Amino acid sequence: MRKLIILAITVFFAFSSAGICFAGAKANARKGKYTYRKVYKSCHKRGEVESATPLLSPDTKTMAQWDKVFDKVINNKDENKPATELVDDDFFEQFKCKEEWSKLTGKDMINVHAYLRAHAADSPSPAKCK
Amino acid sequence: MLQSIFRGLSGNRRHRVVACLVAGVLLLPLTAASSATVSEKKEPGRQIADMVTKQRYFWDTVDHSKLKELQQVFTSGEQITDACLSCHTDADQQLKKTFHWTWTDPNSPEKNRRGKAQYSVNNFCLSTNAMHDHHCSECHIGWAGKGKAAAIDCLRCHGQKKFNFEEAFEDYEAFSTSGDEDDREMANEAQSEIQEAAQAVGRPTRRNCGSCHFSGGGGDGVKHGDLDSSMTTPHKSLDVHMGMDGQNFECVRCHTTIRHNVAGRFYATPAASQRESLIENDLSQKIMCESCHSAQPHKVGSKMNDHTDTVSCQTCHIPSVARVLPVQMWWDWSKAGKMKDGKPYEVKGPYDRLTYASTKGDTRWGKNVPPEYYWYSGSLSGPTLKDSIDPTQTIRLAWPVGSRKDKNARIFPFHVHRGQQPYDIERNKLLAPLLSGENGFWTTFDWKDAISRGQKFLDLPFSGKYGFVRTEYVFPSTHMVAPKDQALACAECHTRPKSRLANLTGFYMPGRDRIKVLDLAGWVLLFGSLCGVMLHGLGRFISNGKGRKG
Repeated sequence: MRKLIILAITVFFAFSSAGICFAGAKANARKGKYTYRKVYKSCHKRGEVESATPLLSPDTKTMAQWDKVFDKVINNKDENKPATELVDDDFFEQFKCKEEWSKLTGKDMINVHAYLRAHAADSPSPAKCK
Repeated sequence: MLQSIFRGLSGNRRHRVVACLVAGVLLLPLTAASSATVSEKKEPGRQIADMVTKQRYFWDTVDHSKLKELQQVFTSGEQITDACLSCHTDADQQLKKTFHWTWTDPNSPEKNRRGKAQYSVNNFCLSTNAMHDHHCSECHIGWAGKGKAAAIDCLRCHGQKKFNFEEAFEDYEAFSTSGDEDDREMANEAQSEIQEAAQAVGRPTRRNCGSCHFSGGGGDGVKHGDLDSSMTTPHKSLDVHMGMDGQNFECVRCHTTIRHNVAGRFYATPAASQRESLIENDLSQKIMCESCHSAQPHKVGSKMNDHTDTVSCQTCHIPSVARVLPVQMWWDWSKAGKMKDGKPYEVKGPYDRLTYASTKGDTRWGKNVPPEYYWYSGSLSGPTLKDSIDPTQTIRLAWPVGSRKDKNARIFPFHVHRGQQPYDIERNKLLAPLLSGENGFWTTFDWKDAISRGQKFLDLPFSGKYGFVRTEYVFPSTHMVAPKDQALACAECHTRPKSRLANLTGFYMPGRDRIKVLDLAGWVLLFGSLCGVMLHGLGRFISNGKGRKG
């Protein structure tokens, strides 16, 4: 019985670690940067925002704050889930451009989060959007 | 009250007084108008300056976005430079001879060259270790901070768009090699951004020059006092020439450029070899105030015109520096390297600026800092890393050359940065530790190792024993020219207790200095005159006008 429990725990940890690694590997900050910029370029073209520069630069929040904003995105396992199901109304109040965000998927969102987090105020390389 | 006066007057006199009052009231507006005309009339210096800088014409005849050379796929900065040089064929040869590229003062002695790339030393980041410290080389105008080994980055000075080319090249390379459709779209996006930025070129703007000159010393406003990011979009009250709501001058309006050689002072080489205005020579550079304002800029007969041979314009017209953002006043390297819980740390102080960092030591900041004044002929001097020093004294790393006896010297304002920095105890010479990079002091916190490495790059010896010596470094204040109503009043200097020029001795300055005999003679004359007047009046009173009747 004890062996079985140990085996079960080992298997559980192995799978969770693999899951974390897999999830980490999927996030592409470089793609996230272009996706994030694309949202505002389209939104600016449509006329909702005054500038094509994203409203919030990565360095406007700390890593923990970005994690909080993208809480559901981080815990999401469905890459194809629409972005609207992964964020609430508070998100659109801050970020605007709901129409453009709605076109993104869970995979896009995890990339955007990776980009914002990688250049957060307390990251090794804080960045502003240009 | 008027009634009582009128009552006391006879009929004729009363009429005369009324007529005078009426005439006075009628003439009042005329008098006011004439005084307004006088005050509106500009000083000769301003009139001349208005003439020589009358209009800013845009005369660009090339739309760079239409050039095929700039529509190609760019995967590196060097390719953009090649595209620029395919039309501007001589630009690189011109530029590589200038101080902006060589970081070397050509007028310094060959065996002890001055300049950032040479043996010059300051009390900020100390030295570039012959351009081996990559952190310093970020400001060199070659691509990717590779120094003189790289091709010229034309866009550093001419790019009109703030753009991170290195990041964009990396992005393009990463996306373009992938087979994924989304990635290809992003590669196209990255390439179109690169091309757009490469095509957006023009004459250097305040932002172009400021990207290095506003952040000298490793941060915004660290070095100069009269140059920081507040000058990117300045208000007229900060600088009457560069203010966007005023003349809106770009840097190159005064720092005139011939064959990429930008006018200005570097180390011992003055900004201009002689004082001359555009009226005397229309091809003269506009680098000095006199170039546009002449040597007699104030109203005819103004006492201030008598000062221009000994007092620079900047002395009165730049009452203080760092008027918007703070400037660093003190940097003590001897305190660097302290740890908290085994880790490097930082402490923030006034103006939201660091007052301590393990990497840098103690720093102090100031705002609205009044300059210090010294005689200055346009040249700065100081020891290099090769020169011997006396560590018992404060070392003047950059100090104005000039004295009252020097005909070319005038009183000039300076921002002075003070601090403590390492020197070789046995050799009595200043040291150049390597600061950035994996082996630099900022990573290892090992002074001995960092100094050894830094000195090696310069091919200079190190005894292995180091201490810290006090140093001073001046910056001539010539930007942040305040509106004329904020210029120094006479009493700021011509006063005894707290004259701004209290440190300048060896000459007599009215109001500030005193010669007891002269003062006594003055008082004797004054009281003598007063007594004379009183005696005369007394005589008249006693005689009661009897003399006249006779």
